[in-house]
Amino acid sequence: MKAAFRGEKRSREPWFAVRRELAPNRAAFLTVFSFALPLIVWSAVSYLPFLWHPDVRLQVSADRENVTTVYVAGDRVSEEFFPEFQEAVRAQNQPLESALTTFDPAVEPENGATVRRGNKKTLRHLVPVLIANGWLTEEQAKDDAAIYGAWETIAVGKKLPTNPSLSKENLDIVAKNWEAMRRVSPTYDADRFVSVPLLGLVPQGKPANPDYLPPPHEVVVSGIREFTRPAEAERPSMWQRVGHSITIVFGGFLLAALVGVPIGVLCGTYPVFSKLVEPFTDFFRYMPAPTFSTLLVAIFLANDAPKIALVFVGTIFQLVLVVANTTRRLDLPLLEAAQTLGARQSQLVTHVVIPGILPNLYNDLRILLGWAWTWLVIAELVGVKSGLTEFIETQGRWRNFDSVYPVIILIGFIGFFTDQILALLRRVFFPWTSEGPSLLDNPVMRAILFVPRWLMNAAAERLPYTPAEPITKPNEA
Amino acid sequence: MIEIDTDPLLYLDQKPEVKARFAAMKQRPVVLSVKNLYKKFQSQSGTCTALKDVSFDVYRREFMCVIGPSGCGKSTLIRILAGLESSSDGQVLLDGNPVAGPGPDRGMVFQSYTLFPWLTVKQNVMFGPRMSGQRGTSAESDARQWIDLVGLSKFENSYPHQLSGGMKQRVAIARALANRPRILLMDEPFGALDAQTRCQMQSYLLQIWKNLDITILFITHDLDEAAFLADRILVLKANPGEVNEIIEVPVPRPRLPAQIITPEFIATKYRIDQLIHPNHGNEEDALPFPRMTEQGDDVE
Repeated sequence: MKAAFRGEKRSREPWFAVRRELAPNRAAFLTVFSFALPLIVWSAVSYLPFLWHPDVRLQVSADRENVTTVYVAGDRVSEEFFPEFQEAVRAQNQPLESALTTFDPAVEPENGATVRRGNKKTLRHLVPVLIANGWLTEEQAKDDAAIYGAWETIAVGKKLPTNPSLSKENLDIVAKNWEAMRRVSPTYDADRFVSVPLLGLVPQGKPANPDYLPPPHEVVVSGIREFTRPAEAERPSMWQRVGHSITIVFGGFLLAALVGVPIGVLCGTYPVFSKLVEPFTDFFRYMPAPTFSTLLVAIFLANDAPKIALVFVGTIFQLVLVVANTTRRLDLPLLEAAQTLGARQSQLVTHVVIPGILPNLYNDLRILLGWAWTWLVIAELVGVKSGLTEFIETQGRWRNFDSVYPVIILIGFIGFFTDQILALLRRVFFPWTSEGPSLLDNPVMRAILFVPRWLMNAAAERLPYTPAEPITKPNEA
Repeated sequence: MIEIDTDPLLYLDQKPEVKARFAAMKQRPVVLSVKNLYKKFQSQSGTCTALKDVSFDVYRREFMCVIGPSGCGKSTLIRILAGLESSSDGQVLLDGNPVAGPGPDRGMVFQSYTLFPWLTVKQNVMFGPRMSGQRGTSAESDARQWIDLVGLSKFENSYPHQLSGGMKQRVAIARALANRPRILLMDEPFGALDAQTRCQMQSYLLQIWKNLDITILFITHDLDEAAFLADRILVLKANPGEVNEIIEVPVPRPRLPAQIITPEFIATKYRIDQLIHPNHGNEEDALPFPRMTEQGDDVE
């Protein structure tokens, strides 16, 4: 009993053998792994600091003289530009240093007012670090008195920021600046402020992903946020968008199937229809459906009709050809046998062709439903943007890719799981194509059940072995 | 050279009781009559004659086998008889009426498995009657009877994919018989089966044939099968397909597996072989193989 619970023995087959089937457990493991692998790569790229980080996310930024592009903390700059940026600030600081140590607080220079304004900006360059360390709240971002105090705290070494910390170079700059500030006024006074330029903080940052590849946790957090956000006026909830997108895809697909399947079956059955319909269909399917989008809007006006029509146009020509081909693939001997059994022409269609092609037709429709999904994005851009695509478009334009990814992944999941469920149902609909349905025959179901089954087997290995009790007690008599 | 003192063909001469059996058979009405049948195909290289002037009669309750070298048009012949192909010239008469197109009066069993995979065994057997509008319990009990006849009552609700090859062909026979055809056309029906199953199926077929009012035309390429099953064997020539000879098999009925070692059985096979491969065993039939062993390293 125990051995049966533990499942299959460890396989002796090699992992790499040309066209040799893998043991079911290995196949299931690899199916799980095929999903895990991209996740692992994504996480590695995002979280391992030594792997591919083409950008630097600024923690401390600075202004450069005569440069209009301003970077603030949180911005990304490229890896190549970052040292250049630092050098520019250092070069800017160098001539200022001697003036800063030797100036006389009592003398007001000519450009004193301008310099003071610039110095107040420099003062606030420390704010992102202070907020990140929890020394300041977001509301205090413009509270110069509090910021002034923080400069003192750091300069005298009472407390140092830790997350992010300041580089030694910047601590030095803070100390030098504070020395000058202290000489003017030990506490913040808007009117009494250093009137020679303070040293700028040297930009600091850490390696980061580019904005088009946010790390997984940001995507998860944004996903949860977007999917739980309730509907507002003019802004449907994500699930309403999903519903809308599904309506478009299934609407277009079902219409195409309703029209296309009978035509396809006729083409596959009667060469007359085949020669009449298929050549033109074959030609038409090379005209990309999106090229008809403006035409469809002109015909069907706004709202969902032109969108559904686009999915319809994108699917039906393919569908007719595929169904015709499937119908033609029906075993000719079956039709001949039916004829020798007395079936008339009309009976051949209703009693042999249609039941005979149903399982393959079902598979074709599964594949074409996948096709229909590929038209979704273009369809939703037709006329008034709508559904999931509208969200992806807008968020993508704002470069909120962390919100875009969950939606893209969701579309993938909907398509994938619809297909898997339909594949399972095939067994239920067409019991005569194979042995009875079993969940474990499906590789995806095996993969989903792989981890729990493996845990169960591992637990069973650790259970102390107790031989089974004999069912019949020994006869006492 | 080994001298064979008796000509094996002497055994084809019929004993009086066998002669009487064939005389009685020829008194019976003709079920299927083929008259001067031609079949020509148009191909790029010109006209190809598949069947040339084929004429023969099949009597009621006769078991006739058709045999011939490959490419002699055996399958074309049976497909024309079934109505699945048209002839170029000549006539096919069933009970004296010309045949046009396929129909339930000529049942057919194919070499490939042609059971409808979406129907159970019982539904397959009921297919023909359903096409002619029979439904309900009487049709069902009829179907059961045919399934019983081929010994598959336990499987009446199974789907074809659950059956072995031999069982599938038994269902195909039952399905063809359920239409109560005048003649059963069988196109190498056991060709795809393994040798052991084939022997068993041959015995089954003879039992079915004996217990029914049915005439059988059976195509095969297997000499043993033809000699074991047939009353008469129609031997065809290849290129073009012509009637070579009709052998009246002298092996008495009922046929038993033990009869395959009787001189009559062997003589029948020998005659078919002679007709199909006239040069078999002669000098001109030997392979022009160069000697590849050492001089003196000979076997008999």
